[in-house]
Amino acid sequence: MTGLAASFAERFARIPKIVLFGAAALVQVTLLVLMVIDRVRILREGTEVTLQTRAIDPRDLLRGDYVVLGYDISELPAGEVRYKRNDARNRIVYVKLAPGGDGVYGAVSVHTDPVAVTSPEVLIRGRIRYAVNCGYSGDFFCDTLQIRYNLESYFVPEGQGRQLEQARNQRKLRVVAAVTRSGRAAIKRLVVDGEPIYEEPWF
Amino acid sequence: MFDRTYRERLETDLAQWEADGVIAPEAIAAIRAALPPLGPGVTIAAIVAIIGGLLIAAAFLAFVAAHWTELARLFRFAMLLAGILVTFGLGSWFARDGRAVLADLCASVGAIIFGAAIALIGQMYHLGDDFAAGMLLWAGGALVAAALTGSRGALAVALAAACIWTCARFLESHDPHFSFVLIWLLAAGLTFAWNSRVAAHLISAAALPWWISAAVQPDLEPGFAFILADGAALLFGAGLALATTPWQRTSSTGAVLSSYGAILLAVASSLAVVTANDNAFFHSISRSPGQPVWAVACGVAGALFALGAAVTTRRPGAALAGGAIALVLLAPATWPSSQTGEPWLAYALELCAMLCLVVSGTLDAARPRIVAGWIGIAGVIAGITWAVKGSLLRRSVFLAIAGGAAVLLATVLGRLLPRGRP
Repeated sequence: MTGLAASFAERFARIPKIVLFGAAALVQVTLLVLMVIDRVRILREGTEVTLQTRAIDPRDLLRGDYVVLGYDISELPAGEVRYKRNDARNRIVYVKLAPGGDGVYGAVSVHTDPVAVTSPEVLIRGRIRYAVNCGYSGDFFCDTLQIRYNLESYFVPEGQGRQLEQARNQRKLRVVAAVTRSGRAAIKRLVVDGEPIYEEPWF
Repeated sequence: MFDRTYRERLETDLAQWEADGVIAPEAIAAIRAALPPLGPGVTIAAIVAIIGGLLIAAAFLAFVAAHWTELARLFRFAMLLAGILVTFGLGSWFARDGRAVLADLCASVGAIIFGAAIALIGQMYHLGDDFAAGMLLWAGGALVAAALTGSRGALAVALAAACIWTCARFLESHDPHFSFVLIWLLAAGLTFAWNSRVAAHLISAAALPWWISAAVQPDLEPGFAFILADGAALLFGAGLALATTPWQRTSSTGAVLSSYGAILLAVASSLAVVTANDNAFFHSISRSPGQPVWAVACGVAGALFALGAAVTTRRPGAALAGGAIALVLLAPATWPSSQTGEPWLAYALELCAMLCLVVSGTLDAARPRIVAGWIGIAGVIAGITWAVKGSLLRRSVFLAIAGGAAVLLATVLGRLLPRGRP
């Protein structure tokens, strides 16, 4: 065993430094590129859903140059998961969405596991934020769930956050998100009064 | 750095011994010849170069930050990748040139840029949902860089990111985050492979946040100090067991790990006494079924490791260290479940444990263990004296009895042990 390790160490020491440092850099660069490609895949393959934003706690509105977005689907009645056992604090849940008459998607039901949906319904994945502290030992779902979908922050050019904040508070701001079959979502564009104001490029 | 200090001390001693006629000049020459040449270390020129490099990097970052929003997103992304490539490129150049310190620094800076790039890409592409996952990605990338380049700095970055990751996951989940152990073991593997004392300190220090996070979980309320003690027992015991192995790589790492374990044991022991007077503590311990099984198993494993080390080496120091672990682990069992009585027996066990720690460190000439024992004794006495509930007079009597017992023990030991022994 020791001989094997020594042999490996000897062979490793023979590799030129430029190769080792290059490999380290390549691994890190690859990981970063994968981050972006993963998001591009969501934007390219995901189904478009339009979500209505709404005003949220003014203390969390703007931090630097990003806008905090709240949605109508951010706070939902627990429905069938109410008083079910919850074994984690930020548990993943799946929300079935369906389009309304105005084209804006609304929540139909909340599930702890993925469920089958039929077009135009979409299943979006989220994480519970609050309201899991019900029951004696605090590990049951409450009546109302607050859910995050990875769509809650949007970085904008300096000075433009305030306009978006106002539009959001007047319920004029809508977000078009791409949602994959697995439920992962990314913001695709921002729409104010039906007019696209920010379009997310793939890269 | 420490090697150089040792050489200076050795030279002074050799000169003194030669002047006293204790050692022949030929022997001194032989000792000098047997010593390997000193490494180049960090020269003043290298320090100035490092500061210069850091200033240039800071200026570059400030310049980029000033124009960040004006730059095209793809260009920003390319800049981040270029930053990593240039840093590692410089590192390889320094490594080929034999400048190990600068090569290590470059790999470390590369690992830090990688972390910054994750955050900035998250901002640019609105990917800020899972903070902990970002930290895991950072830890993974930095660990790969450490493994490939042999950079201790990159290992430090990887372990720091992994600690933040595991603490974040602890906050999210009710369960202990055992996935961290995998990264920790990989880092430990690198430490053995490098035979590096710096890396040994890094992995030992990295184990502490995990146990602290595990101990402060609200679900594991019954005396977080007891869970901390379980962790300390495991680190201390495993360190002692590793230190007895015949391989220098594992034994030196084990010695470092046992020092950190001893310090954590002393802190846990002090905290157990301090929190014993807390209302919430009694409330929680009375309604809780006890410590989680996995934590108790870790504590018992630590005690067994220490016992194994004592049996293998037949050293009384290791046996006393095992005794200290066992006494600290035993103390919770003697704690009263209500506020009606004071935990005198538990106080006594904690004091005995810390005394064992000091004596064990003295017998094994392990200075960190001695320091840990004294810290523990001071903490336990302060905890007993600090108590605001119960009778102060009774505490005074308890401390007087404990002091008397210690003096009696010292007298007996003084007569039994031969002179000149510690």
